[in-house]
Amino acid sequence: MHVDIRKELTQIKGGMAGVAIIGAMAVMAISAPLLAQHDPSLQTRFAFESPSVDHWLGTNHVGQDIWSQFVYGARTSLLVGFLSAIFSTCIGALLGMSAALIGGLYDRIVMRVVDAFIVIPAIIILVVLGAYFEPGVWNLIIFISLLGWQWGARIVRAQTLSLKERPHISAARSFGASPFYLTYRHIVPDLGPILLVEFVYAVRRGIFMEAGLAFLGIADPNVISWGMMIHDALQYCYMSVWRWWLIPPGVALSLTIVAITLIGYAFEPVLDPRLRSEVDAAN
Amino acid sequence: MLRIEGLKVCFGKEPILNGVDLQVEKGESVAIIGESGAGKTTLGLSIMGLLNGNAQGTVDLDGLNILSLAEGEIRRVRGSRISMAFQSSRNQLNPSHRIIDQVAEPIIAHRKNGKNEAHTRASAMLVKLGLSSEKFSHYPHQLSGGEQQRVLLAMALAGDPELVILDEPISSLDAASRIEVTAFLQKALVGRMAILVTHDFSTAAKLASMIATLYGGRIIECGPTQEMLSHPRHPYTRALIRSYPNMTTTKDLQGIKGRMERDVSGCAFHPRCTQAVALCREEVPSLSAHNGRWVACHRGGLLTALSAHNLSKSFGKLKAVDGASLTLEHGETLALVGESGSGKTTLARMIVGILKADTGEVFVEGERVDQRGKNFHRAVQMVFQNPGEALSHRLTVLEAVREPLEIQGVGSKADRDKMAMRVIDEVELPTTKAFLDEYPHHLSGGELQRVNIARALVLNPKVLIADEPTAFLDSSVKAKIMKLLLNLQENRGLTILFITHDIAVARKVSDRIAVMREGKIVEEGSVREVMENPLNPYTRRLIEAASDLDSERMP
Repeated sequence: MHVDIRKELTQIKGGMAGVAIIGAMAVMAISAPLLAQHDPSLQTRFAFESPSVDHWLGTNHVGQDIWSQFVYGARTSLLVGFLSAIFSTCIGALLGMSAALIGGLYDRIVMRVVDAFIVIPAIIILVVLGAYFEPGVWNLIIFISLLGWQWGARIVRAQTLSLKERPHISAARSFGASPFYLTYRHIVPDLGPILLVEFVYAVRRGIFMEAGLAFLGIADPNVISWGMMIHDALQYCYMSVWRWWLIPPGVALSLTIVAITLIGYAFEPVLDPRLRSEVDAAN
Repeated sequence: MLRIEGLKVCFGKEPILNGVDLQVEKGESVAIIGESGAGKTTLGLSIMGLLNGNAQGTVDLDGLNILSLAEGEIRRVRGSRISMAFQSSRNQLNPSHRIIDQVAEPIIAHRKNGKNEAHTRASAMLVKLGLSSEKFSHYPHQLSGGEQQRVLLAMALAGDPELVILDEPISSLDAASRIEVTAFLQKALVGRMAILVTHDFSTAAKLASMIATLYGGRIIECGPTQEMLSHPRHPYTRALIRSYPNMTTTKDLQGIKGRMERDVSGCAFHPRCTQAVALCREEVPSLSAHNGRWVACHRGGLLTALSAHNLSKSFGKLKAVDGASLTLEHGETLALVGESGSGKTTLARMIVGILKADTGEVFVEGERVDQRGKNFHRAVQMVFQNPGEALSHRLTVLEAVREPLEIQGVGSKADRDKMAMRVIDEVELPTTKAFLDEYPHHLSGGELQRVNIARALVLNPKVLIADEPTAFLDSSVKAKIMKLLLNLQENRGLTILFITHDIAVARKVSDRIAVMREGKIVEEGSVREVMENPLNPYTRRLIEAASDLDSERMP
């Protein structure tokens, strides 16, 4: 199975749309200082203003510029999403791979821990943790990573178990390859596609969790994020401000999640070749 | 008794015989086997004293040194005590005399009998050789090649010699006449000494009690006929037998790598030998006894390339391999035959070291393998069953073939590329940039298996374990891959453990067969022994179930 990332993405139309949306979000997050008209955390006495040339999306209850908050909010969502995904995928890959390769008691312990983590409802733990620590962005990233590696570990272990019995690995062993060589030269690259899919879903999970926590009001109120904007806006939804305060972050969040789902969907055939279209299978 | 010692013959500066030692007892016949140009006929001629002083050494016939005799004395011996039947292709008959006169000539010349009696004896001899009496007064040109050869044999035997030298006695006869003449010769040679010069093993098997292999002007192996034919010890003798078409062995014909060269330092065979070491280049090996056989080889004849003793492996309660032992001689193919699940692959994996054996030992060239380090991996390599799966989908052809070199840290990157390209070429794949950069999923099954073979060969192993190398290929590709393996064996002296469930394939490509069932080797022997006389009922079943083209025969 040879994976061509570009081909996989273009195979399903949504894949490219997803990449375009995430790309646009990323551009927005990176160039936030250029796009924002005001300091997003600057409080003014002009609260609840309607959109105007000066405030494209008006201002909120403490007079902050909503457009600027919206633009900066993308940073938080994407940062938490991607970083927690990188961490949780790495933890999952390391534990899963080592469990499969070392086996024995170590394998059994790791897998029982995985089972435990799968049973624990992550969001509730996060709520508890959030109540104890004032979770800033970094704490949040760490918590989400620590609560999100178990699915990856399980898939990676299963795949590694099957990989290590593959003939090309046996062949490399028959040339005298060391376990280290086998791991970095064959097993890790062969896990690539699976890690990629796992990573995409971890990003989605991260963004979703971050927004959820902010929405529940557990996150640090000083961190500007879409979830926090939704949380604040909901308290004033009897006023007409929801149109420019609630809808933009809501839509942006939904779009990001949909976009990541589309990318994940495009990569799914990598995991399950039966999903490939027949034309592709014939190639 | 004929005793030849240190016989050397030079024509001009070119040495033909470099010191031949040979003894022939009364009643014994020795076949001198060798390729054309090995000096077989020269040996015959020098015993006849026909080489006019070009020969040095001793040719002693019951105390009479033929080489030191004057021409007049030799003539008394020639034709009466020693005679030679020449190869008929050389126009040995005098075209102006009737054949009956020519056959009677030696009898008359040595005044053994009067003319009439001589003619009677000559005709009797010709009749025995199957020539009809109306042809006795023909001239040689009126006879066919086969008939001329019979006349030459009659001439040689007419004088009732003690020692008869037969140079390719039946080579120009058709198959049916061969049987007739061979039967006659078997009787005629009783009580005489005979030297049979031939490249034809079948003749040697039927007429000779001993076989001596001549190469580069020396005898390199000598032993009793049947033993020599079934278990040759010198690589050259085995190669000669392998290249001889016959009804006994079923393996495809193989040639001998390279050509015969003269003026080679050290062992004359070393440029063509696949187990030569530095010593072979420097010193001439002497003919010495190794396990009851005379062999001239620094390495004591064919080496044992790989042996496994009492290997066992259990998976839980299942005994996958139960005390299996195998021995592979240098350059031979041993087919390991058995149904799926009989433990063949497990055994192979234990030998290579992918699986750890529960018990048992593996020896490579006689040395026990304790840890499978660099030396082991360079000596033993494996070709896996499924050619597509055995290659990583992420590596190009060149990268895949280079991988073993990288793992073993051989040479610089440029060296590795060069070595990889050389084996890729050797397995008859293109070495164009486009092909080297192909990924496995763009290659056909046959190409994939060739890449696998190239990868296994890149470390220059002595032993190749091929686990069902053709199982996933269609029959025409299958045949090509088998041919490739045979050629590699010819050129590299590769020892092959060929694992298959198909006894029909095994019969065509192997020297010996080992049958495996439920983890045990239940039968082992030469292909012929196993095929013709299977001792184990399981082997019999396998043979019955093998493919054939017969519509009647049912398994």
